[in-house]
Amino acid sequence: MWRVRIILEKEFYELIRQRALLGGVLGPAFILTALPIIMMALSTTMIGASTALPSNLPAVGGLGAREVAQVFVGIEFSALYVLLPVILTSVIAAHSVVGEKGARTLEPLLATPVRTSELLLAKILVALIPGVMITWLSGAIFIVGTRALAVSDQVVAAIVTPGWLILLVLWAPLLALGATAGIVMISSRVNDPRSAQQLSATLVVPFLILFVGQAAGRFVLTPGLALEVGAALGILAILMVRVATGFFQRETILTKWR
Amino acid sequence: MNAIECSGLGRTFGDRAAVEDLSLAIPSGTVFGFLGPNGAGKTTTVRMLTALIAPTTGEARVAGYQLGVENQEIRQAVGILTETPGMYERLSARQNLQFFARLYGLDALTADRQVERYLRLLGLWERREDRVGTFSKGMRQKLAIARAVLHEPRVVFLDEPTSGLDPEASLVVRRFIHDLRGEGRTIFLTTHNLPEADELCDLIGVFRTRLLVVDTPQNLRARLFGRGTRVRVSGGASRWLETLRGLSFVRDVVAEGDALRVTLADPDAENPRLVRALVLAGAEIQSVEPVSHSLEEVYLGLLESRERKSLEPVGAGRL
Repeated sequence: MWRVRIILEKEFYELIRQRALLGGVLGPAFILTALPIIMMALSTTMIGASTALPSNLPAVGGLGAREVAQVFVGIEFSALYVLLPVILTSVIAAHSVVGEKGARTLEPLLATPVRTSELLLAKILVALIPGVMITWLSGAIFIVGTRALAVSDQVVAAIVTPGWLILLVLWAPLLALGATAGIVMISSRVNDPRSAQQLSATLVVPFLILFVGQAAGRFVLTPGLALEVGAALGILAILMVRVATGFFQRETILTKWR
Repeated sequence: MNAIECSGLGRTFGDRAAVEDLSLAIPSGTVFGFLGPNGAGKTTTVRMLTALIAPTTGEARVAGYQLGVENQEIRQAVGILTETPGMYERLSARQNLQFFARLYGLDALTADRQVERYLRLLGLWERREDRVGTFSKGMRQKLAIARAVLHEPRVVFLDEPTSGLDPEASLVVRRFIHDLRGEGRTIFLTTHNLPEADELCDLIGVFRTRLLVVDTPQNLRARLFGRGTRVRVSGGASRWLETLRGLSFVRDVVAEGDALRVTLADPDAENPRLVRALVLAGAEIQSVEPVSHSLEEVYLGLLESRERKSLEPVGAGRL
């Protein structure tokens, strides 16, 4: 494990010295943190939009027009927290793995006594740790912003639901893990970090559908549903890591990665 | 004791054989030159011997460890300069080397000492804090060589160490390899630079998918061209051809301007008889010197003879 720490130190050192990469991480994080709060602030002027919110959502029962408008905006934008961990970890993992492949530093690294499991773990952690921490920090800011801007406590309760908190705390790391594993798999076929990011972003599509469904009133993200999806995500992430481990072998990297 | 031993080592990629039936033994402390055309399988061989990829056939011991069984130990015991330097461009030269030194398990103090030692030896100490992204190709190559030996490996694999370097940098690297040999390390040198191989190597292996031949540079010359003597004479050399062809110990003779190039089995013993015969025949001898074939001639000759003799090896051998 001490080699994992050595690689992590090097990776973080490089990460904070890449302006483009930092921009790719902090830019989306800033936008996806600021946008919901700005929209929450503006939402009371968008009362007309509240008609778009399905009346069958239990959270809006008995709320006034301004409250419904805020709940509508809050629920719509809280869905972005499915996207954020995937974007952040994909950007970092793509630079870490595909970037290393492009710079041809993988072979000298693989020639050292480092185990591929240690190297893979370091590559996952270097993407996962900042990706998840920034997502959680952004989520915390969203909660604080929602509390500060909400016209009533019912609005806060309708947006910051237990289901959404499970999404933030549980889904985010699992989605990040799956995205990182996806990047490792994709890395065997692409040489450009951006291509890898774009391909891994497809991972988020099924989970966005979940939120579109909620906004359309098809279903509600109850704690039970959030945990069930979280469990499925966990299984998916483990499977993806197992497949990624198969791709991330010395032999495979040196002879099959293109 | 042999630093590298392999028997029947082979590697295929799909239907294509990259390396076939490689058997050789390289004694410890030897500089072994591994020569072959592009695509001959040299890099695949190096990757197998450094436990980066697995052979499909055969077995090997490297630095005393069994390939396929003690791969981790092999990777700890060998150093490798890969085809491309592959350095982290945003890190300084010192940071790059410290990173790898720590991965090899060196403690901080030893790592610092080793980094300084090799940066100084390769003339990079003054640029130690500069980002590698600002380095020339030659500097990166020297840095990659330093990385290969940081952990004091007993066996060092150098893939084209002077490729693309200017003459001054090449000289630094060649001297460095000399020094490594002086320390008793075994060096497996893959190169296309034949004069360099001639200068540095104790043993040469010529390889094209299979090992064609292994021997010392001197013996390779003798095996392919025989040994010879060049005799410069006054006047035209061609008029002495018949005289020399009449001597039983002369294997071959050709006239080259005012010189006769004579192929002999044992020049040390036969040169006096050769000179005596020419003088008795009336020749005025200006000079007598051994004929030296470049390694390039030997290498090309071996590959040509291989072409002629289809796919059978001309003398793949063990030492």
